[in-house]
Amino acid sequence: MILERFNAAAKRGVYSLQEFFVLSGKALGFIFVKPFYTADLFQQMDTIGVGSLGIVLLTGFFTGMVLALQSSVQLQAFGATDYIGSLISASMIRELGPVLAGLMVAGRVGSGIAAQLGSMRVTEQIDALNTLGTDPIKKLVTPRVLAALIMLPVLTVINDFVGILGGNVIAKFYLGKPSALYWRTVFEQMLTGGFTLRYIPNDFIQGLTKPFVFGGIISLVACHFGLKTTGGTEGVGVATTRTVVTASILILVVDYFLTQILLAVFQP
Amino acid sequence: MTEEDDRRRVTERRSPNEKDATAMPRRARDSGRVRAAIRTELEEVAEQNETKQPAAARNPQNVVVAIDHVSLAFDEPILEDISFDAKEGETVVVVGESGTGKSTILKLVLRLLVPDQGRVCIDGEDITHLSFDEALKVRQKMGMVFQGAALFDSMTVYENVAYPLREHTTLGEDEIEARVREKLQFVDLDPDKVMDQLPSELSGGMKKRVGIARGLANNPEIMLYDEPTSGLDPLTTATITYLIIKLQRELGVTSLVVSHDIRSAFRMASKIALLAEKHIAFFGTPEEMTGSEDPYIREFLGGF
Repeated sequence: MILERFNAAAKRGVYSLQEFFVLSGKALGFIFVKPFYTADLFQQMDTIGVGSLGIVLLTGFFTGMVLALQSSVQLQAFGATDYIGSLISASMIRELGPVLAGLMVAGRVGSGIAAQLGSMRVTEQIDALNTLGTDPIKKLVTPRVLAALIMLPVLTVINDFVGILGGNVIAKFYLGKPSALYWRTVFEQMLTGGFTLRYIPNDFIQGLTKPFVFGGIISLVACHFGLKTTGGTEGVGVATTRTVVTASILILVVDYFLTQILLAVFQP
Repeated sequence: MTEEDDRRRVTERRSPNEKDATAMPRRARDSGRVRAAIRTELEEVAEQNETKQPAAARNPQNVVVAIDHVSLAFDEPILEDISFDAKEGETVVVVGESGTGKSTILKLVLRLLVPDQGRVCIDGEDITHLSFDEALKVRQKMGMVFQGAALFDSMTVYENVAYPLREHTTLGEDEIEARVREKLQFVDLDPDKVMDQLPSELSGGMKKRVGIARGLANNPEIMLYDEPTSGLDPLTTATITYLIIKLQRELGVTSLVVSHDIRSAFRMASKIALLAEKHIAFFGTPEEMTGSEDPYIREFLGGF
């Protein structure tokens, strides 16, 4: 009895995983296949990018501030508060910027996508698209995935910048360090990480690859759970919850492995 | 009732149906406003028809939709050895109790589902083994009206009706607007009033009509309706029924309707297929159905 149930659950899991990869393959493949739904793409870029600007600005700024505040205590013990800029710069650009932007967008945009596609599924709008001769993956999934792939790195750069700015505020008003010193250490940190192709700082490679991958994870997970919604409005809630949980966990786990790979490849 | 009986009945009833099956309402037992409403509407249609012949010359021998010994199971069997067909210009209504897999039949015809056994043919072409892209092409021959209308709620009524045109034709904006107005007028909606509204601002009956207009936009050969009258008040039910009849008469499209509303089924059907316990228990004209001595059919009609 228990074994049977386990068997069924395992089968469902594998099947779902297969569906996810088929969806991902199609969605990414359709980026290069006509017709292009450009209007949908811009609309999604607006929802995902511009729409998430507020929360990204807020989280970035406060994270930068609290990071400066906390580390100032540690740095004071070593008399190294002059270097607070490099600490903030490294942690924001390499880790906190991408991960925080990813988590916030997963919560805000991922849930939105899942809920929207889920309701379209339960009100037969997905079937209607199919009936009207449109591939729903092409029309709905591809623009969302592409928009997320483009906009998440942009959001991350903004997040990084306001985070470092937050650190600047604390360094100046709490630690009494001049802004010029703060920003010099910030830029020094970027340059000491080494370069790829001579001109691209390695910190930037890390900081921009991650959000690109996270954007794909968020949008694909959301579309996957949204499109396979069953069971009416209750199912929409389930799909939304699953999306946020799965995408958040995936972001944190993938972040670790991605960091290992990127460090191995790009760090001298 | 054995399976063999079913099959015999189905084959007996399958002889070509020469009568124009969309004559006046066959059952005059109804009472009140609803009947009056339908009467006058039908008379109007009949009058119009004297002057206006169907646009397409119909050949009533052409089988447009054929369902051939189809079986389908998900976790448990849903349909077993289902066979019936719709000839050009006919309206076939599939009736049966709720939850008997009626809507599944429409999904098979649209090839949103593929049968486990048997085949589904559209215009003589077997669509069972088509690829996804080929299936998208075949679907363009069909217009589907969903139970909840399934209008895209992020688009206005205009954009909804224009959607299939934008997707599959190269019509200019003027032509699209003309077509959208024509279709909205056909379903008795005032284009100027509704075009800029969002689906959420419309009543249930209006949504259904917009759904029909969208299904019609591409001038399909086949119209499919999933429970067109469910959840509507009697008057709206009557007008939707009248619309389906008008559509068949004026445009000569072949229609496949899935309904549990036996009353409106009798008004619009050229043929009725009764789905019971995964099988087609009866397939034939409404007159044949009322004349049937079969206890299950009598019981099913008992509520009518």
